[in-house]
Amino acid sequence: MTLRTVLRNEWRLLRADRALGLVLGVFALLFAYALANGMAWVDFQEETLAAAREGNAERVESLETELQRIADGGRPSSPFRDPRSPSVLGGAAGAHTAVLEPGPLTALAVGQSDLLPYYYDVSIQTNESSFLQNGEIENPLNLLVGRFDLAFVVVYLLPLLILALSFNVLSGEREQGTLALTLSQPVSARGVVSAKLAFRAILVMGLALGVSLLGVLFSGGFGSPGRVALWCAAVAAYALFWFTLAAWVNGLGRSSAWNATVLVGAWLLLVVVLPAGVNITAGLLHPLPSRVEMITAQREASNEAVNQRSELLARYLEDHPELAGGVAADEANRAALAWAATDAVNRRLEEVTGVYDERLAAQRTLARRYRFLSPALLAQEALLDAAGTGDARFARFRSQVREFAERWRTFFVPAILAGEQMTADVLPGVPAFRFVDEQMREVSARAAIPLAALGGLLALAGAGAVVRLRRVTGPGS
Amino acid sequence: MIRHIVRKEFTDLLRDGRFRWCAAIVGVLLLVSLGSGLVETRRAEAAHSAAQETARDHWESQGEKNPHSAAHYGIYAFKPRLPLSFLDQGVDPYTGTSVWLEAHRQNDFLMRPAQDASAGQRLGALTAAQVLQYLVPLLIILLAFGALAGEREQGTLRQLLATGISRRDLALGKALGVAGALALLLIPAAIVGSAAITVGSPGPAATPLARGTVLAAGYLAYFAVFVALSLAISAWVRSARTALVALLGVWVLNGLVAPRVAVDLSKWLHPTPSAVEFARTMEREIRSGVPGIERPDRDETAARLLAEHGVETVDDLPVNVIGVYLQESEEFANQIFDRNYGALWNRFEQQGLVHEALSVAAPLLAVRTLSMGLAGTDVEQHRHFATAAEEYRRDLMRRMNGDLAENSRTGETYLATADSWAEVPPFQYDAPSLAWVLQNRTLSLAMLGLWLVGAFLVAGSLVRRAEVA
Repeated sequence: MTLRTVLRNEWRLLRADRALGLVLGVFALLFAYALANGMAWVDFQEETLAAAREGNAERVESLETELQRIADGGRPSSPFRDPRSPSVLGGAAGAHTAVLEPGPLTALAVGQSDLLPYYYDVSIQTNESSFLQNGEIENPLNLLVGRFDLAFVVVYLLPLLILALSFNVLSGEREQGTLALTLSQPVSARGVVSAKLAFRAILVMGLALGVSLLGVLFSGGFGSPGRVALWCAAVAAYALFWFTLAAWVNGLGRSSAWNATVLVGAWLLLVVVLPAGVNITAGLLHPLPSRVEMITAQREASNEAVNQRSELLARYLEDHPELAGGVAADEANRAALAWAATDAVNRRLEEVTGVYDERLAAQRTLARRYRFLSPALLAQEALLDAAGTGDARFARFRSQVREFAERWRTFFVPAILAGEQMTADVLPGVPAFRFVDEQMREVSARAAIPLAALGGLLALAGAGAVVRLRRVTGPGS
Repeated sequence: MIRHIVRKEFTDLLRDGRFRWCAAIVGVLLLVSLGSGLVETRRAEAAHSAAQETARDHWESQGEKNPHSAAHYGIYAFKPRLPLSFLDQGVDPYTGTSVWLEAHRQNDFLMRPAQDASAGQRLGALTAAQVLQYLVPLLIILLAFGALAGEREQGTLRQLLATGISRRDLALGKALGVAGALALLLIPAAIVGSAAITVGSPGPAATPLARGTVLAAGYLAYFAVFVALSLAISAWVRSARTALVALLGVWVLNGLVAPRVAVDLSKWLHPTPSAVEFARTMEREIRSGVPGIERPDRDETAARLLAEHGVETVDDLPVNVIGVYLQESEEFANQIFDRNYGALWNRFEQQGLVHEALSVAAPLLAVRTLSMGLAGTDVEQHRHFATAAEEYRRDLMRRMNGDLAENSRTGETYLATADSWAEVPPFQYDAPSLAWVLQNRTLSLAMLGLWLVGAFLVAGSLVRRAEVA
């Protein structure tokens, strides 16, 4: 009797077992459903972004027509919206929508993409408070519950499938009385358990990875093979962890019922209780700072700024001597005065936000330490990072939008201060946003941490399994 | 006889190491989540009421100013935390905490706490409500899965029935035994909870004790459903192991699968517009009006006023045309906001109904909706607050435009005095009554009642037919 015989035998048993076939069928359906959900979400995002781009084009077009009309001797349609004024052309009327394309594998993991904004209208009014805006319109109740996507099925439900298939790989043989017979052949208990689990692992991981790749295929994610590989590695490591845990528990030599209870308990502890405990602990020890104070600070800054406009302009020009030459001699250059006030508010806001962001970052670093306790949290982190729907990619988007807003200001502010008039000729030169996506190197470096930790837990369970299984000799043990 | 069954079951459970461990874990989580919820709610409420006071100070100390400038300056409203929100934070992390009330515009609520939290924190947020909704049912399953199936497996069921006790009394005794063990866990939590309620919270009065009592009754009904279901399945299937597997299946379906399916189903049945689409529609309608809601025109307003007062020029008018026109614009815009925001809120509520209706497959959905409603943290009560804030904004704008229209003439530079801002009443929010909340939650209440009756009937029938061996 060889391991191949074990495998072939398992295949026959599985085909004969209607219940197992049913469970696998149900899971195949769940996977398909999750994938369909994820793909519908990507479609929605892509339609939205197309509408945003269309809005961009329409704005530019209408400004161009208006500027052309004025150049031909027409009058501006409203004195407050004269597009020749750089504070109008660079303001809300001429805003540019900076968009973040859905992550390459968003169809597999919705992640934070339903909560965090994936487009911002950038204009000279963009400042730190612009980043407080909400993301997509979504029922808060739906945000609270979360989506039924592939990441959810993998993190929560896949372990249950694995445990249902493998809680009795060894104990079942013993209870049927076939263990003694099997071990009388030239195979070890370790070999039998490994072969049986390997067979199940191929089945389960084949299903999970197959559906993932299918999703990637449908949503065109093969453009980033590195991310696909990361996703697969995370799924495989997480699934193997649960198989190994099952092997270990089987090696303890107790009854199938005992194994089932312990394994379900482990699932509850690691997937449900620990993440919750981790978050409670982190929330109590390192509470999230409240943003409410930011509003007060912002108001105070703008009150002050309005009261001291002309003083602020003088100070602004002191800080930016290169612009001083270009300021219109007319003391009553209202746009320049207004800009100086806006700039003062922006600086103050940046200070307040800077302090807040530091506290937030510190809180997150502290809170994230505890995630090493739970394979579910680790797997989720790696999966979202691979999919490009984790926190990091959104943070990157925000920081690029910040830089873009700075470029936008550099383009328009000198013209505002100089009291210049704009023409249709400047339109082609107006800055446009292009998101520079993460390098695969950065993504892998980041995802390596949770993956390594997951690997560590896997190794721990593996060591336990090897030690225990070595001691299994026969039914009497 | 039934007394002996209850006592035996109760003592058995207390001696069982598994129960002690599980109960300890659930109990600690419950107390910790109650405590952390209380700390968090008080911290947030303190921050919000302080910010609300500062916002009022800012408003009052504007100095001499044109009323329309003051209208543009506006005021911020901060959403208060209701006393019971420490039990169930509901959708609060996903709704904004503050809104800017300014001229011409109904703004969105900004600063959702969840946007600052990480993806991992979203996965496993834990409140007392979640312990009650997820972990306590699990504990019930672990306590009760073997109640009848276990006795049958050990052959003790036959002996028990030989004493003459009816199957129904036996099951009732088992149920009461489980309930007693559970009470050891829930009574301390209830004491801590009600102490926290009576000590009081600085939030708006919202009859917290009455709300808390209904909340407790709702949870007790939910637990009773699980006790009945566990006994029913334990009576029905052959082995304790099968009972456990089946009950865990029910738990996964109830707690993990059904809620998320409800999300997708509700979005599919009642899709919401994208933010881009929503903003564009609103912008278009504000710019050019819609049939039946016409955009006011300044010249027409002036002409109408001239005719009304029978004078020739705007200079002879006793009112400022700009003030009247601004108010007309506000009223026009308000109708557009009501149209669009109203439709969106209604969509959200329809989606909420899908969640509630799906509780036919998962009682969790009913008890969760009820719990959020009573804690004051559901979508409807967010809408209630948003509406109150918007009403206040409209009143504020009416006052500002009225001041401008009545106390100045067209074309003149008018500054309201520095002390006039304090005459505007401060923003005061009254939380909805218990009746209002329950009226919104009739479907959940009915579903929970249905589950309770159904689970007991099924349990009764299965227990009567339970096989001895």
